[in-house]
Amino acid sequence: MLKLIQTEFLKLRRKKFVWLMLSVALFMPVFALFYFKTSGGAGIDPIEFYKWTAFSYTPWIILPVVLGILCTMLIYDENQYDMLKQLWIVPVGKMEYFFSKFTIVLFYSVCFMLITAAASVLAGVIPGYIAFSWESVGYLLVKCLEISVLTALAVMPILAVAAAQKGYILPVCTTLVYTFLGFILLMVNMYLHPLSSMTAIVMRDIPGVVLTKTLNIPAAIGCICVWDVASVVLANVTLKKRK
Amino acid sequence: MKILIWAERKKLRRSKIVLTAVFATVMVAVIVFAQGQFVFNGSRYVDSAGWFMTTAQSLATFYVLPAVIALVGSYMICREEQEDTQKSLHMIPIDETRLTTAKMIVLLAFSVLIYLLLFVITFLCEVVLHFEALTAAMIFTFFKVYLLDGIGVFLAVAPIVALVAWIKKSYWLALVFAEIYSFTGLFVSMSSMLKTFYPITAAFNLSGYYEASTTQIIGSVISLILCGCLAVAILAGLKRRTH
Repeated sequence: MLKLIQTEFLKLRRKKFVWLMLSVALFMPVFALFYFKTSGGAGIDPIEFYKWTAFSYTPWIILPVVLGILCTMLIYDENQYDMLKQLWIVPVGKMEYFFSKFTIVLFYSVCFMLITAAASVLAGVIPGYIAFSWESVGYLLVKCLEISVLTALAVMPILAVAAAQKGYILPVCTTLVYTFLGFILLMVNMYLHPLSSMTAIVMRDIPGVVLTKTLNIPAAIGCICVWDVASVVLANVTLKKRK
Repeated sequence: MKILIWAERKKLRRSKIVLTAVFATVMVAVIVFAQGQFVFNGSRYVDSAGWFMTTAQSLATFYVLPAVIALVGSYMICREEQEDTQKSLHMIPIDETRLTTAKMIVLLAFSVLIYLLLFVITFLCEVVLHFEALTAAMIFTFFKVYLLDGIGVFLAVAPIVALVAWIKKSYWLALVFAEIYSFTGLFVSMSSMLKTFYPITAAFNLSGYYEASTTQIIGSVISLILCGCLAVAILAGLKRRTH
């Protein structure tokens, strides 16, 4: 399994677009830079600032879309060059293959959120919008790591859909619809969709976040687990069917 | 040109991408309808006549449809390279710029049709929910909004699709860029000056979804025409390169 993960990382080195896509992590920090400039300024509470840069649209929309596209790319590129047959001949276990891809997604998600965290601190401290404090930076880092792990788990169904398909169109469209559904369900029911459940877990201890309903963290964890187990089963069944 | 458009239409009919795009559009309507179940001030959003038609087109434009349209456009362009039909087309010989222009015309029709599909779905739901509250003027206004949204969004994403024709094999780039591009519209709409010229929100000014003065509408039309011109300039560059 470790060798397989190492191979996946080596393959990743050749894919320039994957690295280019990490620049999307800068989107919300850069946007916050302009937003707080127009709204006038200095002395903002660091947590308020990080809510804009790292705890809102980044985990709701940006990161799931980027991870969904990454999942599709990782699987589709191998399908395109008919590499799967060779992998099965080696032989590589179907589930080992699936989880090695998931490890890449997880690693990428962590990198993405760490970049967002670093950019958030820089975008806040350099123009003087927020005062630097280790406490707030530590909080930001912990939250970003939490978001990255939970989002990677929440996009596992996309990885399963990508593994079940030879093309890239359906997984990509599913990514868009899936992310949109997660975002909308935030307001309706947080425990139906892994992305909205992920948000429920992340929001549990962010100061100043007012929720209309009390949070049920076990239900949110349960939702993510159910979807992930279903994804693993789907991936297992579809990959075994493939010759 | 007529034959090229006919051939593109035939190719699209064989592909699953149209069905997938229709699926994405239907899902958007379903998700927005789910959001409409949210109770605010004692009544559900969806209980207000016209809410569903208004919200569906704006959320679809900010989150899903521009990326789907860019995906279809980049798919139509990249498939010739991927399926190795480019060589055969050069042998006939078919001018690459004329072929790309035909693809863009088909994409315009696709964009309009996908918005009209969303209009039909939301309209039928409104008929079922609030038949008596609907007036001919209201229906015509919404029809105009959806129709102009389709045209406006096509013009807004046309440079991205043209860029794909230039770079080739970069449909991932088109997708990520189109998603971020449409999503940025959410933030841009906070500034009345920016929302006049930003192509995605300019489409809303043109369609009448945003209340806009004549000057703002003219500004938006100019912005969208510039997008179209940029796409044409990229395609003209493509012609020079192939010659």
